[in-house]
Amino acid sequence: MPLHDAHYQHWTGEHTSLWHRRRVIAQNGLSSCLRTKALRMIMSVCWVSALVMAGFLFALGQLLVQDSMMEHWVAQMNPQLQSFFEVLRSWLQYHPEISVGTTQNVLFYFYCIYLMPLSFFALGMTLPALITRDLASNAIVIYSSKAVTRFDYLLGKFCTAFGVLALTWLGPVCAAWFVGNLLAPDWTFFWHARIALMHALIFGLSSMVILSVMALGVSAFSSREKATPALWFTWWALGLAIQPIALHTLPWLRHVSFGYNLRQIALATFQLGRDLKTAEDSIPIFGDMLKHVPRETRAALDNPTLAGALLGLALMLLAAGLILRKRVAPE
Amino acid sequence: MTSESVIETEGLSKVFGRQRALDNVSLKVLPGSIGLLGPNGAGKSTFMKCLLQLQPITAGSAKLLGREVGREGRDIRKRVGYAPEQNCHIPGMAGCEYVTYCAQLSGLPFQAARQRAHEMLDFVGMSQERYRKIDTYSTGMKQRLKLAQAMVHDPEIIFLDEPTNGLDPKGQAQILELVQSLWRTYGITVVLSSHLLHDVEQVCEQIIIIARGRVLVHDSLASLKARRRGAAEVVLARGHDALQAACRGRNWPCDLLPNGHLRIEHGAETLNPLLTLMHELHLPPLEIIPSPNALEETFVQALEISHAAA
Repeated sequence: MPLHDAHYQHWTGEHTSLWHRRRVIAQNGLSSCLRTKALRMIMSVCWVSALVMAGFLFALGQLLVQDSMMEHWVAQMNPQLQSFFEVLRSWLQYHPEISVGTTQNVLFYFYCIYLMPLSFFALGMTLPALITRDLASNAIVIYSSKAVTRFDYLLGKFCTAFGVLALTWLGPVCAAWFVGNLLAPDWTFFWHARIALMHALIFGLSSMVILSVMALGVSAFSSREKATPALWFTWWALGLAIQPIALHTLPWLRHVSFGYNLRQIALATFQLGRDLKTAEDSIPIFGDMLKHVPRETRAALDNPTLAGALLGLALMLLAAGLILRKRVAPE
Repeated sequence: MTSESVIETEGLSKVFGRQRALDNVSLKVLPGSIGLLGPNGAGKSTFMKCLLQLQPITAGSAKLLGREVGREGRDIRKRVGYAPEQNCHIPGMAGCEYVTYCAQLSGLPFQAARQRAHEMLDFVGMSQERYRKIDTYSTGMKQRLKLAQAMVHDPEIIFLDEPTNGLDPKGQAQILELVQSLWRTYGITVVLSSHLLHDVEQVCEQIIIIARGRVLVHDSLASLKARRRGAAEVVLARGHDALQAACRGRNWPCDLLPNGHLRIEHGAETLNPLLTLMHELHLPPLEIIPSPNALEETFVQALEISHAAA
């Protein structure tokens, strides 16, 4: 095809805003991540689990309604559980914040913790699409020659990682909360469960910010596609392996694990120890059940090592920042 | 078109460790087609990168399109296009997706970006291959793609770093023709960095010769050729020996070149004495090339001076 078949035309339109360009980077990064089959599979698992959680909340709501089908079913299955729910039902009238709020707070703590490793996995699978491939193909030079800065580029990529976590973690949590309470027997459930949602949002958002920055750091560590996920999964596995060993030798070493640090933040945010104490004091049958919980577990729930966790994560963020500063440059 | 400088530098220096890549470069460059010449490692690419802020400046100052480099990065780059020497693309994208994305990064809304991307891909001569993944492209296609992404946002100035590298002769000719048209037809200033004198001579009106990080020559191609007047290449159908003998009689060095042309150093500012001689000998020339290799000679001379000074 000969050149100049089409003549060059000057463009006279309005330029888009800076935030629009940043959004374009994030959007492109996210669509590139979503091309990863493994990520789509993990996302499916997360959203199916959200449906299960919503179903569970629906069932729980039904148990708090007198003469519901669920109550009869539980009565047939376990009379002790039936009396437990009878107590909850009576508490619903006088202390709904305990029977609904506390229960959902505990449930959402466990749900957040359940989704956490799935999100770690999802993030690990998308690391090459964040910065690694751009480093390998010199795309950083192209970004730097356009009307965006290194900060804009990193902000866009941060939003990509944040988006992946939103789709695999906070999205399902919020959806489960909303649908679960929508199906509850009473609209007031939304109000009573607000603290659970607030805790989930505080923990989820702060963890997502931390994890996104860490993921960018790991993604920029190497320009080889297999190296960055390998580094991420090794770090994660190493953290898991160290925890039980370090518990009885060098407890501070547990903070090498980002998963452990985030769980400590979750405990501090959801204040699970306080909730269990309230339930124990208020519902005698529940108190009997909790007698079997080991003392160390109760101590861990009551006093999470928040300072160490924050320090550990701060050091990880610092390392990620240094890697990004050094590696994400045009040359 | 404007008569204001598009590039203005004052004492511009760039140091990498102990190596001085740019040494006190002071220039005022007017709009046009500008050739940045120099041997490998002379500092041409560094000069471009400093102007585009891909490299921080160590000392001195620079203005691009009247704006201070280093302060108004985003605004400057909205009006500037850059096709780097090395392969740079975003993996996993098709050619048209990539150019659209580059346009969006330069501030074009999606619809306009997509339309411009297709126009630019037509302009650089890419047809159906634009829908293929870039990873499968040949070197020539990648060069065209680099050019398309550099032009897609309609910049006022385009920096092209060795744009004909890896192209076959036909591809080289097409790209050079296209680059030439950017200034001559569409008024877009072109800065072409190359170590290939032929490319620069064909496309550029202004020449900047850089070596060891210093600007050795900055002048128009016409002036450089004028400096080298006094020599000509003559193409004849017959009478080579007669002309050679006549030249020797006038003490004009005359050589028969391997391509059959005669290179004559007549020493005059115009071609008149040579034309008069040929008229006297009844030898009609098929072609006369005045000041042949002027750029090459200037380039070599500048490098020799630079080496001697070092």
